[in-house]
Amino acid sequence: MTQLLDYVLGGIGSGAIIALMALALVLTWRATRVVNFAQVGQAMFTTFIALSIQTLTGNWFVALIGAIIAGAILGVIVQYLVLRPVKRMDTSGAIIATFGVLIALQAAAGMIWGGDSQAFPQPFGNTALTVFGREWPLSAYDLVVIGFAAVMVVALTLLFTRTSLGLAMRATAFNPEVARLSGVRVGRTLTIGWALAGVVGGVAGVLVAPTSAISPNSFDILLVFAFTAAVIGGLDSLIGAVALGIGTGLVLSVVSGYSDSSNAPVAALVLLALNLAIKPEGIFGHNKARSV
Amino acid sequence: MLSITDLSVRYGPVQALSHVSLDVPRGEVTAVIGANGAGKSTLMRTLAGLVKPESGSASLDGNVLTGHRAEDVVRMGVALVPEGRSTVPELTVDENLRLGGLWRSKTERAATHAEVFDMFPVLGERRKMRADTLSGGERQQLAIGRALMCDPQCLLLDEPSLGLAPLIVTQILELVKRLAAEVNIAVLLVEQNAVTALRVAHTGVVLNLGQVVMSGTASDIASHEELRHAYLGY
Repeated sequence: MTQLLDYVLGGIGSGAIIALMALALVLTWRATRVVNFAQVGQAMFTTFIALSIQTLTGNWFVALIGAIIAGAILGVIVQYLVLRPVKRMDTSGAIIATFGVLIALQAAAGMIWGGDSQAFPQPFGNTALTVFGREWPLSAYDLVVIGFAAVMVVALTLLFTRTSLGLAMRATAFNPEVARLSGVRVGRTLTIGWALAGVVGGVAGVLVAPTSAISPNSFDILLVFAFTAAVIGGLDSLIGAVALGIGTGLVLSVVSGYSDSSNAPVAALVLLALNLAIKPEGIFGHNKARSV
Repeated sequence: MLSITDLSVRYGPVQALSHVSLDVPRGEVTAVIGANGAGKSTLMRTLAGLVKPESGSASLDGNVLTGHRAEDVVRMGVALVPEGRSTVPELTVDENLRLGGLWRSKTERAATHAEVFDMFPVLGERRKMRADTLSGGERQQLAIGRALMCDPQCLLLDEPSLGLAPLIVTQILELVKRLAAEVNIAVLLVEQNAVTALRVAHTGVVLNLGQVVMSGTASDIASHEELRHAYLGY
């Protein structure tokens, strides 16, 4: 029983990362009805930029701020240069184009930073915390990760529910024509949505990098987990992405704990398959299932 | 005044509007009537900037509207209440209203917000509810309220009677008529239901296959028997 508790607690940190990446996917989906498979590529590229800044300045916070800025800019570039022209054709074309962007970003990162895994320095202690005379499967760094994820979720929720920009973004997502007729500059609003997603994904990348390592392909598996969480959460729902992101992290941690970590991707795909079989619109989604 | 001059619209091989000219004076309701496919909605969507015209122009008090995007046309003072899905169902009543005219100052918007609640008290009672919980009539009031939040000088109403009970249609249209007179805005009303439209309108035009086949006072059109049989089907 204590072992199960340890596995569950150990999954919260990775769950928070998955939640952030799922959040990024949901943000672009809500804004443009495109699942952005390049999201992890953007996060990887952004994280490499952060690593370069970290190496240069030796300061983790400066690197994180650099990642936030780079993530926003990269989001704008991808939306403007690739999605806008392709979206005029059709949505499935846009989704395939995001795969193209992913491959291009991975190739570019390989050319700039090399294809090998590189360690990202630990900003905070990564040893297990000892409280009440017992070692817990959480480190100080895990707590920082969870804290950052919580702050971003609260900030995004406030942005969407309390500000004019958030209102414009929601209206644009649900009914772009009425938004336009109300005076919302829809094109600009969509671009801001992609920039935001780029920021959230970039932060997820910088947060996960110290616990693993970074290479052009190292986040690919994160895409599988985040996509699973986002889809089960309903794709439209910020709360769904966060809840299912953490949930996915916990399930994967338990599966890895009792069997082997190489089974985690399989477990994620099983979750996804179950979701599609039982509740294809997602737990928090209110869209009807759509056959294609 | 909204002035439409020689406006033509083409969707590929289909000529949707052909050399339409029309004046919509302030303080009055002008009705555009005609059968399905006459080009009524195309006219409205073109005026609002959602459709690009092939030729011709439209202007409001001398400012040319054609060539501007929808989000700029509404800033220039022309607000469209489109046919059908004209609110955001996932947002609350309050949020739908706040969406209109986000570029305006907070105090101006708050004043209009209060005026809209005066005009449509039921919206005030339902302000925290999602738009998709409203009845058809309430939703149409919300759509008009959202357009009014943009502080329009010209209001374009596309088939406000669609799917509504006759009594509610009459109420809404009477309110629109009063609004035109009190706030001195130009109202262009598109209706398939000619009888209802001509009852509130001062003047009207009849569209058929994208062309104006008659224009005149509402009573002239309503009493023109041949025209009614030929184009309006009653």
